[in-house]
Amino acid sequence: MESIIDKINIVQSLWPFLLKGLWMTFQISILAILFGSIIGFCLGVAKTLGHYIPTKLINGYLHLLRGSPYLVQLYIIFFVLPSLGIPWLSFDGYTAAIVSLSLYTSSYVTEIVASAIVAVPNGQSEAARSVGMTRYQTYKNVVVPQALKLTIPPMASVYVIVIKSTAVLSVIGIAELTRQGEVAILRMPGDIMFIYCLIALFYFFYCYPVLRFSKWAEGRFGSVGDVDH
Amino acid sequence: MMDWLQFYFNFRIVGNYIDVFIAGIGQTLWISILCLILSLIFGTMLALARMSKNPLIWRPVAGYIQFIRSTPLLIQIYLVYYGLPSILPIGNLLDETQTGILALTIHTSPYFGEIIRAGIGSVNRGQVEGALSVGMTQRQTLFNVTLPQAIANVMPPLLGQTAVLIKDTSLLSIIAVFELMGAGLQMFSETVIATESYVTTAVCYLLIYAMMLVISGMLQNKLGGKAWQSN
Repeated sequence: MESIIDKINIVQSLWPFLLKGLWMTFQISILAILFGSIIGFCLGVAKTLGHYIPTKLINGYLHLLRGSPYLVQLYIIFFVLPSLGIPWLSFDGYTAAIVSLSLYTSSYVTEIVASAIVAVPNGQSEAARSVGMTRYQTYKNVVVPQALKLTIPPMASVYVIVIKSTAVLSVIGIAELTRQGEVAILRMPGDIMFIYCLIALFYFFYCYPVLRFSKWAEGRFGSVGDVDH
Repeated sequence: MMDWLQFYFNFRIVGNYIDVFIAGIGQTLWISILCLILSLIFGTMLALARMSKNPLIWRPVAGYIQFIRSTPLLIQIYLVYYGLPSILPIGNLLDETQTGILALTIHTSPYFGEIIRAGIGSVNRGQVEGALSVGMTQRQTLFNVTLPQAIANVMPPLLGQTAVLIKDTSLLSIIAVFELMGAGLQMFSETVIATESYVTTAVCYLLIYAMMLVISGMLQNKLGGKAWQSN
């Protein structure tokens, strides 16, 4: 009984800090998914247009981002870019976090958008062209709207990946959920396990509904294949 | 002629640390392979348990899978790293590397399990019926008919997840495991030059990734399936 009251006291004293961390996690993940989606959408559409050099360049970009761990990308954007001496590349922690996470997200979104556009049946664009639409009109009015519906379920999984990746940001000192937990542990070193379990629960209640939504949307809208991780 | 490059990237310093990076690559590959084998075994067990009809078995397993999928790997590593010594009475039974391998296995198995479950679901029902009708036992059917076909069917996502696993080993550097990222951090802490340390680390990871692409291409040719895409 004593220990339960003890734990409740810990939760009460940590609650405001953890909520602040959750808000930071939420903020960064929303901005990252927003910017990442915009970049990824443009690259994904560009990839399907079939021009040789842009496609190769985009593939190289994807390989760069997919071949290296997010931690390394974060270190490069936070530590290496400022040392180049270009003023507008010298990010502070918060900007570096959003930039790196957006780029990381864009690599997933590009693949998703590209495969969704490919998944739209050929007959659709052929029919659109045969009624006299230009190539641009076909893309804008026929192919992309149908493809966007297919991207909803995998985009939800990508959002979960983004939320989980924000935990890594604690290593550059962003005060998000994991970092707030580490600070709390410095104050109460006796309850490491309890505090980490608490943080895990926070993440769980944030990510689980999104995962369920992804699953539901897959049945509702169909899918273009699952996202790793 | 290449003097201007010295300003951005000093190969001489990287040359001094080349053996550290090679050791790091070796350690990363070794940890990844060990985790891969353990996760495949444990993941298959999870997949079979998840497909069980007994709710006492599949519900806890489903809960475990959902929990792992909705919490960050970093938190799971911390939970294992700080939690294990307090659960086990003996104290520090495992060193950092072993703890890291354990944490990564706990993290990766559900992902492998879900993939293998999808693979088992994709095996034609007639295959199982045929195997049972020629007198194979349930166990023989599983190991000789269902699982080989299931794993061949889901080779592309398995390879993709393996690439994710290799990248995930970089997070172990946070609990002071020496691997490729750890090599980069060591070089940074000794020389305090960020560019050479971290760009070299990234290049090494890209080398491993390129190797993965080649190996998976060969594997796919052999199995005659669809080539592995970079996701």
